[in-house]
Formats: sequence, structure tokens, C-alpha cells
Amino acid sequence: MNERVAIVGIGWSGYRSKSADLSYKELIYESAVKAYADAGVDPRKDIQSFVTVAEDFHEGTSIFDEYTPDQLGAALKPVHTITGDGLHGLATAYMLVKTGQFDIVAVEGHSKASNILTLPEVTAYAQDPILNRPLRFNTHFVAGLEMNRFLFETGTTQEQCAAVVQKNRRNALNNPKAPYGADLTLEDILSGPVLSWPLGKRDSAEHSDGAIVMVLASESTARHLNDKPIWILGMGWCNDSPSLESREWGELPYIQKAAQIAYRQAGFRNPQGIIDFAEIDDTYSYKELQSLEALGFCLPGEAGILTEDGATEVDGELPVNASGGSLGMGHMIDATGLARALEVVLQLRGEAGLYQLEDVNVGLAQSWRGIPTTSGAVAVLAN
Amino acid sequence: MTLLERDPKSPLTWSGNLPVTSRYTFGLAGEKFFRAIKDEGKIIGSYCKKCDHTYVPASQFCEKCLAEVSDWVDVGTIGELHTFTVLYEGYDGARLVQPEIVAFISLGDGGLIHRLGEINLDEIYFGMPLEAVFLPEGQRQGSILDIRYFKPAG
Repeated sequence: MNERVAIVGIGWSGYRSKSADLSYKELIYESAVKAYADAGVDPRKDIQSFVTVAEDFHEGTSIFDEYTPDQLGAALKPVHTITGDGLHGLATAYMLVKTGQFDIVAVEGHSKASNILTLPEVTAYAQDPILNRPLRFNTHFVAGLEMNRFLFETGTTQEQCAAVVQKNRRNALNNPKAPYGADLTLEDILSGPVLSWPLGKRDSAEHSDGAIVMVLASESTARHLNDKPIWILGMGWCNDSPSLESREWGELPYIQKAAQIAYRQAGFRNPQGIIDFAEIDDTYSYKELQSLEALGFCLPGEAGILTEDGATEVDGELPVNASGGSLGMGHMIDATGLARALEVVLQLRGEAGLYQLEDVNVGLAQSWRGIPTTSGAVAVLAN
Repeated sequence: MTLLERDPKSPLTWSGNLPVTSRYTFGLAGEKFFRAIKDEGKIIGSYCKKCDHTYVPASQFCEKCLAEVSDWVDVGTIGELHTFTVLYEGYDGARLVQPEIVAFISLGDGGLIHRLGEINLDEIYFGMPLEAVFLPEGQRQGSILDIRYFKPAG
């Protein structure tokens, strides 16, 4: 199918550090009805297929995908759940429309992180069971190793990483969806408790609860559904060898490859001068810098300097995580990439409110699946 | 913003858990690798001729060209520090009383994740030679824990 694909509806619930009043189904329901109203579709009649993103261990329920249809209006419809980040879910929904078999498809991602009472152990269970897990290290060690090598190879400093935290948490003060807005000094960030040196606790995003639903449609359908369709120009994802023993420690070749795939589909090679703003992975402060370099916005070692110079501020040359990112909005586990994509859509529609950027036409969303993985995805969106 | 309006201080919840116990098979290469550690105090890798790449830990196949790899090589017990971190939280997220130094030690074209011992933080540098310290032969069981830690070599 040569028709383009657009995001025609968005809905969200949250984000909050805790959501003791609502079940995950209610969080999803709230997001779904908003997204369907936004797109002007009846889920029971109009939406032909549904994609959700979830991990059984994060949900605390085996075969969790069986629990997804009802709150989405997807019972007795084609539904499938994929494991991966929310952007992998968006890519899957995009492909479903691209097959030409479905005109309208919905994608859902959510986080009920506050209900995972043993998250460190759940994450540690993702370590290699024979080579790594017997050592019984908290999984943040993977980020500590990666950050230290990244700083060593590129000359990036802990202060430059702290500048990412400062920027994103300040940006979050303008975003009513963001629970972790704060005006911190670099000293506040650098003097915080250590997590896995050189990684500080304040370099690491807290979690939040919430849900996101998007409705996608083929071009001809999108045109009469919505006067503000946001076009998917390209989507790429890539997985490196997962083993800690054979991966790169200082750079992100899988993000580089995912970006190349997305850029090729969108018809360009170099994002500089084409992408107006980006919402990217900042699970840890250094990841924003490492990702900017992998995405081709600058050379290795330059992202920290550009950040210190203000180039990634809301009024800078390339605003990055104007929403506050995961550091400001909270990490949404499997839904994180969908949260980044949602912010790109809001900016491209001109609906970002206090943190609306001026004159933006092309935006990029990028995600990483988190420790200890080597999976990432990139989306290029335009209005 | 919320669907339900009720006292947020008294939400009803149910807690559940699950005992998860699994067996993990070492496989052909894993068995060679761990038997060499257990029986000989050696670290072995596997060499792909086509890619000129030595996998440590040993692998039965080359992830670059996907050929089967059958040349086993002793890579010695001294590697180089590739990167390290000082970990302040434990497996369950609790603060550690004694932070641990964790490193990736390069061996062949791969390496191992392990803790460092007999070392002061201020003497650590990228590229420093590190040597595996094994448990005494009779105590080794064929696991990554047969290596107690890595220490500065020489």
C-alpha cells in the first residue's frame, strides 16, 4: 500500500507517581475513550484491529495479553499484544495499516509501575540467568558501566549529564502531565545519592503510572476523520546482540541503525536541518546525550557541550524533551516510547500548551527498552 | 481527572505472588566453558576463523556470520578493564552498606562481568590488567561464582 499513514486520535490518562484510585483497566479505558472521541471513531464499529504493549512480569499476570481487549472496545476484534517498547507497538500498528487490510487501527501502552512491589528483582530477572544473575547485582550496574565507558570514550562529563536532568525537570514544570517537575541546580543533582557511580540517583528517572492510546488511519480515511492528521514519515527499530559480553559499551549502534531505517523511509539521510525537535530516551541522563549522538544530530562527544550551551533547551536550535522527558514525566516502563510519540504529536498539532514550540513541522521520537536491553526504536512524524 | 471519586487514602487492593524456579541448560559451549573453569581453572573462548573473532564466554556459533564455531582457545585468566562502576544498591533495591565495584573485563574479543576485589578505587584505570581469582578446586561447582572476583594482575 502506498498510501501514507496518520495518527488521527490521541488519548492519555495520567501521569502520576501513584494511581491508587484506578485499576490498570480504568487507566486504559480513560485513555481509549479520549482517543476515540478525538479521532471521531466508534471503536465497536470503526476500529478494525488493535495492538497493545505489555510484559507479563510488569503486569503481575501470566498471558497478560488476554486481559487487553475489553477496556479498549476490542472484544471480538483482531487484537495482539507485543512485548517491547511502546514505539514498537506504534510500528506494529503502522504496519497493520500499511498492509492495506485495515483502515483504522488502535495502539495502547500503559504503566502501573507503582503496583510492581519488587521491580528491582523483576528487572534483575531479565539478566542472563547463567552468566550474570548469579552475581546478584542490582541491574542499574548495566547503566553504570555504560555511562562510565561513554564518559571515557567521548570526554562527556557528569556535569553535562546533570545539565540534562536540570533541563528536563525544568521543562516538566510547564507540563501539567508531568509529576516530577523541579527547578534544581547542577549542585543539587551532582550532590545527590549515588546509584551506580558515575550514575547518580537523580540521573535516573522515577516511574509514573498512566496509559496512552493512539488511533492510526490510512491517508484516505484520515483525511475525512481529522483536520490535524499527523503523518508517520518513517519508523525503524533495531536490536543488538543482548549479551553483556558482546555488546558495545560506549555507543548505541542499535539506535543508529533504527534511525537510519526511519530516515531512509522518510527520504533523508541526515536529520540536521530537517527534524525541528525531538522527544528521546532519557531513562538516565547520559542516555539523552548518547542517543542524540547515535541519532546523528551531532558527533560523539558533542551532545554534552551542546546541552551545556543550551542548544537542546525549548528555545534552542533543537529542543529535546520539551515535555520534560522521562526524567520530568516519569518512566512509563513499556509505554515510555508511546509517551514520547504522544508529545511529538501534541507539538505538531500545536496543542502542547505552555511548552508549545514555535514553527515545528517535523519531529522525532526515540525509545530504548531499558536495562538490560539493547532494543530501540525511532519514529519520524510530521504535520 | 480521575474516573472514580472516592477516598484515595483507602483504596482496596489484593496482593499476589508466584514462586518462579527454572532450570537453565548451559548447552554445548556453556558446558565446555564452565567445565574448564571448574576442572582446570581456565577461561576458554571459541574462535571464528572467518570473522577472526574470539568469543568469550565460548559460543557454539558466530553471531556475526552465523557459522558454527569449533575452535576452542584458552584466553588466559588475565584480561583488561573495559569499564567499571561502583554499585550502591543491592539486588532488591536496598542501599548497600558496602558498595561493590563491578566491571566488564575484556578477554579475547568478549569478556566477563564480575566484581573486583583486592583493589582500591583510586588505583583503577581503563585498560588496567585484571586477573581472575578462582575458588579452590574442590569448592568449584561449574558456575560464574567459581570465579570469586578479578584483582589487579601482577
